[in-house]
Amino acid sequence: MTALLETPPEAPAARARSLPLWANPRLGLLVLLVVLVVLFTALRPSFLDVDFTLVPMQADISVYVVVGLAQLAVLSLGHMNMAVGRMAAMSAFAMGLAYQELGTPLVVDVLIGLAVGAGLGALAGLVISRTGVNSFVVTLALDFALVGLVSLLYAKATDGVSFGAQPGGMAALRTDTFADYCAGNVCGPPVPLIVPIAVVAALLVGLLFRWSRTGREILMTGASVKAAELSGIPVGRRVVQAHALSGLLSGLAGFLLAVNNGAFSAGIGDAFLLPSFLAPVLGGTLLVGGAVSVLGTFLGATITQVIYKGLNLLQFQVDQLKLYIGLVLIVALSLDRVRHVLAERRGARA
Amino acid sequence: MILSASGLVKTFPGVRALDGASLSLAAGSVHALLGENGAGKSTLVKILTGVYRPDGGTIELDGKPVHFTGPLDALRAGIGVVHQERNLVTEFSVAENIVLHHLPRRFGVVRRSRVRDEARRCLDLLDLDLDPDAPVSTLSVAQAQLVEIAKALSVDNRVLLLDEPTASLTGDEADRLYAIVRKLTGSGHAVVLVSHKLEEVFAVADTVTVLRDGRSVAEGQPLSAYTRDEVVDLMVGRAHAAVSLAARTPLSSDAAALSLTDVATSYGHADVSFDVAPGEIYGLYGLVGAGRTELAKALLGLGSVTAGTVSVHGTPVRISGVGEALRRHRIGYVTENRKEEGLFLEQPITRNIGVTVWHRLTRLGLIRDRAEASLVDDYRQRLGIRLATPKQLAGQLSGGNQQKVSLAKWLAADCGILIVDEPTVGIDVRTKAAFHELIAGLAGQGMAILLISSDLPEIVTLADRIGVMAGFRLRGELPNDGDYERMSQSIIRLIHTPLIPAAPH
Amino acid sequence: MTAVAFSPRVFRTSEFTLGVVAFAGFVGLTIATSGNMLSAGTLAAFFRFLAVPMVIGLAQMVVLAIGQMNLSVGVLTGFCAMASAWLMIEAGLPAWLAVLAALALGALVGLVNGLLVVFTRINAFIVTLATMTIIEGLRYGVHGPDTFQDYSPGLVRLGRASILGLPVVFVVAVVVAIGVGLFFARTVAGRHLLASGGSPFAARLSGVSNDRSILLAHALSGLLAGVAAVLTVALSGSVNASIGDDLLLPSFAAPIIGGVALAGGVVSVTGTCLAAFLVRLVDVARAQFGIGQQWVDLIVGAVVLGVVLIGAVRGKLASRPSRPATSAGSSRRTS
Repeated sequence: MTALLETPPEAPAARARSLPLWANPRLGLLVLLVVLVVLFTALRPSFLDVDFTLVPMQADISVYVVVGLAQLAVLSLGHMNMAVGRMAAMSAFAMGLAYQELGTPLVVDVLIGLAVGAGLGALAGLVISRTGVNSFVVTLALDFALVGLVSLLYAKATDGVSFGAQPGGMAALRTDTFADYCAGNVCGPPVPLIVPIAVVAALLVGLLFRWSRTGREILMTGASVKAAELSGIPVGRRVVQAHALSGLLSGLAGFLLAVNNGAFSAGIGDAFLLPSFLAPVLGGTLLVGGAVSVLGTFLGATITQVIYKGLNLLQFQVDQLKLYIGLVLIVALSLDRVRHVLAERRGARA
Repeated sequence: MILSASGLVKTFPGVRALDGASLSLAAGSVHALLGENGAGKSTLVKILTGVYRPDGGTIELDGKPVHFTGPLDALRAGIGVVHQERNLVTEFSVAENIVLHHLPRRFGVVRRSRVRDEARRCLDLLDLDLDPDAPVSTLSVAQAQLVEIAKALSVDNRVLLLDEPTASLTGDEADRLYAIVRKLTGSGHAVVLVSHKLEEVFAVADTVTVLRDGRSVAEGQPLSAYTRDEVVDLMVGRAHAAVSLAARTPLSSDAAALSLTDVATSYGHADVSFDVAPGEIYGLYGLVGAGRTELAKALLGLGSVTAGTVSVHGTPVRISGVGEALRRHRIGYVTENRKEEGLFLEQPITRNIGVTVWHRLTRLGLIRDRAEASLVDDYRQRLGIRLATPKQLAGQLSGGNQQKVSLAKWLAADCGILIVDEPTVGIDVRTKAAFHELIAGLAGQGMAILLISSDLPEIVTLADRIGVMAGFRLRGELPNDGDYERMSQSIIRLIHTPLIPAAPH
Repeated sequence: MTAVAFSPRVFRTSEFTLGVVAFAGFVGLTIATSGNMLSAGTLAAFFRFLAVPMVIGLAQMVVLAIGQMNLSVGVLTGFCAMASAWLMIEAGLPAWLAVLAALALGALVGLVNGLLVVFTRINAFIVTLATMTIIEGLRYGVHGPDTFQDYSPGLVRLGRASILGLPVVFVVAVVVAIGVGLFFARTVAGRHLLASGGSPFAARLSGVSNDRSILLAHALSGLLAGVAAVLTVALSGSVNASIGDDLLLPSFAAPIIGGVALAGGVVSVTGTCLAAFLVRLVDVARAQFGIGQQWVDLIVGAVVLGVVLIGAVRGKLASRPSRPATSAGSSRRTS
């Protein structure tokens, strides 16, 4: 792609790291988020209604932050995972099946499901690193195969759509907020119980890519495979690990959605693919690899959900909302580009 | 003068590639453009052919100033070029590549027969017997090179620029090429020849321009006015000869740090034997394509050693990857391809240096930023890396500083054996001298260094012993007595002697 | 020089392999259904519903030719279909005008994609991800959740008609495929486009404008999505805002199975069409034997994975570093 530009190969493009504060894309997103919230509240005061808007919105944001992180895990390599949705579905299936067949408690079911997700991701990573085939193709093929497999498995193990019985504790996760566990309204914020799960996941992923050797080596692999290999990084293993992480997070997102829906069902993950790209890309993670932004992904997912909820309250039709999400994405990216160019020019003059 | 350029300036981030370069060219002559690696030859060629736009200076064609807006513009003005890098569309046929810039057409439809005829005509100019319909991907490197020359001839050019045209050609193919060059100059063309091979230059060229550090130090002089040594002096400058390094005595120990016995590799090496002692610099000299870099990569486990033994400190080893080489045997490799293999251009300097030692900098599984920062600061001072901030991206540094970063990560990893591949390619003369002192200093501290270089002065300045490689074999080994004249002659004789029976003249 | 020397290049191409597989599959299915495949009705239905997958695969292929992707092909097909139905029903335009409008709309949206890619220098995957979401909204905006039906009976009749036993829509798809094939093989613009995809720098040095290639590829992709939309409108007799939802992933499957490289520079019209044929074959087999749709996805996924794996293994064997005195590469390197 860079070869198409006028820039000679000797001139590598500078990236955000060395740019001034006002050029930080995350700051722009935060401003956008505040503006949106103020705007929607002004138009519909019920936007700040705890029970009808804020609590369900937090639950949705939790799901899509984790979905975005699942994609981010491989974007770090410059790869893609087209099968996030189906890995989530397989993972959720494993959770449901474990409970149905073994009657194990929720935590064990979830761990089994996450292991299945991580395994599928690792499989994709293994094929990619061994054959050198484009990650897009491999995960697309895997997605096709899993689409079929998921419905076959649900048809075999259940009534075809979802598991009838759910492990104990799922209902509480779905309906309760921390406020329910307090005396009156004194303590405990009205935060759904699944929010901390997403927050912890985001913190761990952030920690991984920021301060752990494995995470950093994944990023370096994404920055330049050749240089990574010649610096002694076990490139193949890092590719497998990043994809396994993607599968694991897909599984977690599947679980969170199952909690929100109240059941492990075959439809889980159907709508994951686009949001999985939307959140990280809006948050400033590019497809080239080598750099990720967990905070940006969090903001990206939040903004998307705020727009959905806000426009919904303004009685826009669901499908029409997409128009605005797409516009926000393209405007945000273009502005980011402009700001970048401006900041670089300024830096060059100084 | 058909073409004259003066005062050309071109700056890339961190590098001033051209700093007032000039060149003038008469019809019917072959003009040699000489200079060391990084002197700015390729940049000058790219400016003259419209690939880059100059930041300053003028270009005149037939006495009129011209401003090329793109490669096609220069081509239309009558300047054809064969760049150093291969620039063919490998999926296309030979014929189509030759005429790609002016595909014969009628109503937007390519006229295939005309494409073939035109290509045939150009191939005939070169006496080339190639199938015009063969895809370029099936050609050998030398054939592809000749196709590029045919492509440059497809327009009725008056000026032809050849950037290292014989780098991948055999003696016969080169002779045929130069016969064509003479034929072209005979019909009034002007040819600019960029080449490292001085023998060829002296055999073919009429006049010469020498570039050093982006400036013309000799411009448009008749080549006959110079001896070969004088040209070399102009290229490297007197600064080079002045470098005198502190005398070192290699630690004499019977256990070589690295030793190869009758090694053969999957790249095609055979019977390679040499050893490097701690504190010694072993120079491995050879031309591009001699198999030196491949040998280094085989040693690191990126290719495989198929026969013979590689020993590290006396113990036979089988290395399966750079990670193992580094962590188990403390072998580091400073690559020749700094931009693609040595550095993560879009990552900060801290990470570029820390990458080999993160496992040492962790506490509770997390990397301590402060430990990394102090490590970087340490090497910044020791190697004199000039940087704005440690968070700066490696791609923003100048060539010399990039190379220091590329080296620093191996020093940080505490290597005992360091393979240094073409350490000063694309680095200006002053930094080069500093680098040589650095490498000598490392050997002085007891490191075993395998220095791979195609830069004769460099290898004679630094190495204790010199192995000469050609055609994936070691042709011989010479103790270095430091006398440049004598050493360079012996080395060149070693490279060519075994080849003469194979190439009848 | 073994058997390889006797066989001309054509037998080693992936198109040839695909062709053999497709033919064998077709014969196999005919036998398994005791000839039912060859009955006029089944055969006509087979080819009728092959038209759209073929064209949509080509729509993706032209963008893959420059090493980019177009995620908006599916929804764009739906949007153009809805727009042309709206023009016929609400605006009362004659069918031929609505058809032209759908094609123009597709090309225009494609051009916008291209312009965004060229001017923002943002990865085409992301740009078309954004435009895809936008077009999804637009597609819905045409008629909300409702269905258009009873538009131009003539067009619908054409969608069900046959020439020489072949459905008209299939003939149209074949003509379009031939057109795309000729475009890439014979026109200056097509050759330039492929040169940009295969080697952008070499193309630029030869005076080819890579930006123009990007614009052209995206516009052409949009135009082909428009063609797919017209075929859909003619075929189905009623359209709603869900048209195109199930086209995105198959649009990638056909060219990838057909041997088109994601890196750009290589296209295969024959391969893409044969791959669409194969997928259709699996689909028909499913219908014949009453197997669930999920098996089709499973098999298509397995085939794509298999194809890329075989390709990778073959590539590895071919590019293995030459060892002295082994047979590696002896069949290929004769020079």
